[in-house]
Order: sequence, then C-alpha cells, then structure tokens
Amino acid sequence: MFLLVFEKITVAERLSEIFTFKFVPQTFIALLIMLVILIFSIIIGVKVKKAKFTDKPRGLLLIGLLYYQAMEKFTLSIMSYKYRGFTKYMMVICPYLFICFTIGLTGLPSPVVYLATPLALALTTFGFVHGTAIRENKWGYFKRYVEPFPVFLPINLISMWAPTLALTFRLFGNAVSGYCIMNLVYYGLEGLSDVFFGSAFSGAIGIQSIWIAPLVTPFLHLYFDLFSGFIQTLVFSMLTLIFVAQEQSEEDENQVIEEVVS
Amino acid sequence: MEYLYYIAIGIMMFSACGNAIGESNICVHAIDNMGRNPEMYSKLRTTMILGCALVETTAIYCLLVSILLIFVK
Repeated sequence: MFLLVFEKITVAERLSEIFTFKFVPQTFIALLIMLVILIFSIIIGVKVKKAKFTDKPRGLLLIGLLYYQAMEKFTLSIMSYKYRGFTKYMMVICPYLFICFTIGLTGLPSPVVYLATPLALALTTFGFVHGTAIRENKWGYFKRYVEPFPVFLPINLISMWAPTLALTFRLFGNAVSGYCIMNLVYYGLEGLSDVFFGSAFSGAIGIQSIWIAPLVTPFLHLYFDLFSGFIQTLVFSMLTLIFVAQEQSEEDENQVIEEVVS
Repeated sequence: MEYLYYIAIGIMMFSACGNAIGESNICVHAIDNMGRNPEMYSKLRTTMILGCALVETTAIYCLLVSILLIFVK
C-alpha cells in the first residue's frame, strides 16, 4: 500500500514537495502561538528593565518572576548550576507545546497534529545536543562515531538519529491518536443523536445531530487535550533536558562555590 | 486481499499486552514504595506518571500505524 504511494511520485518530486512552502492552517496557528508568547515575553522583559529592586514586584512582573523561579528549579533538578542559562529555552518551549496541545479546545486546528511541528521541535533538541557536545569536546566530538571500532561507523551514524525520531513520533502519535479517537466519538454520537432526535427536528438540516455529543465529549477532551498535553509537555521538556545534560561536563565543587559567592 | 490489512492490525494491537504488563509493573512498585515511605508520595507520583508516559509510547506507535493502515489507503 505504502509502496504503491511511493511509486507514483518520483524522488525529485518528493524532494521538491518538502522544500516548497505550503500554507496549511496549522502553520498559521503555530506562528500565532509564537506571536502571543513573544508579546508576553517582551512585555515582561520591559517591565523587568524598568523595575527598581527596592520595590515589591506586582501584577504581570510577579507572575513572570515566579514562573522563572519555577522553571529554574525544574532545570536545576537535572542540569548542574553551571548550565542554568538553559532555563531560557525551557521557558519558551513548555508554554508553546502546552498551548499547541490545548488549542484544539477552542476549535482551531492543533499544530501538533501536523508532522512538521513535532519534527521541528525534535530537530531543535538534536541541534542543542550536538552543539553542546561540540562545545564541550571540541575535535574529540568526532571520536564517538568510530567507537569502539571504525567498523561501527554506519551503525553509529544511524543511531545518532534514533532519539530525534523517537521524540517526533512520541509527540505526533499522542496528538494524532487523541485527535482520531475524538473524531470517531463525535461521528458516532452524531449518528446516535440522529436516531433519537431525527423525527423531532425533521425540518432543520443538521440540527438534530448536535444534542448528545456536548454531554459526553468534555470528559474525553479533559483527558486527551489537557491531561495528555500536560504529560507530553513534561515528558518532552524533561527528555530534552536529560539528552542535553548527558553531553555536559562534570563540574567542580569549588567553581560552584566561587560562582555563588561572587 | 483487503482482509489481510485487518488481520495485520489485529496482530499489531497485541503489543498492548506487553505495554499493560510494563505499566502495571511501574504502578505496583510505585504503590509499594508509597506505602513504605509516605513522605515521598508526591515525588513518586510524578515519577510514576512520567514513567507510564514513556512506556506508553510503544503502544502509541502501534496505534498510530494501525490508524494509518485503516484510513490511509
């Protein structure tokens, strides 16, 4: 079945399909979420620059500070104190993923259902992991591909992509399975409502099929959108932290004390 | 040959057995240790949910492939 699909399109057409910019609604929603987070970040950043350290923080500034503290605590639970700058990335990626999952509640299409969004997020993690490794080990970075023997080079090159693939399909699979199950439930309940209320609303088109679904689906939305979204956000951010922390060097105790003192 | 797809999907969803055993193992050990030292309750619960979500991925891969086999033809 899949082979037949591949036979119809040549390799060149498939490659050109990747590089042409197709404007799907999910792209627009992803950019919109990014814009909202950007505006909030800029507002809080301006407030932080204006604030005097003698005053009590209040309003949006207080929320921002509490949020920063919570995310720093989360980052430092896995990474060492030397790399606390990674908190900035976590502060952006966590709300972005959570809003991506829960925006389906408003009726807009969820960007996670579109494969490009999880792939882009996983590729960002890939970039962070290998960037950190190159920064830590310099030329010693390339040694890992010929370990334990140079014969293992192709296997190592393939296994380099395994975490990225797993991260992508973890997000995409969760989102798509929830989306499919919700659509099937809506479809079934529409039919059930047609059976019950078909005779009562025979004149109006479509109105007889909207009466049962709102009673049943909120609980399913609670699980598939809110709970699943929260858990997947936690899993993705924690896995990113763990993958990046694996590449970071061990720190000296003295250096930490010096940094804290200064 | 259409029916072979459905047989394949049925076999594929057998992976849920292994997944269920793995997840129940996580829960059993977490609850054991929650009873042993209740002050660790919140930490153990967080780790348990995280572990369950990680173990669940194998089943989700199978569900994804099954859905693709049913709808994408």
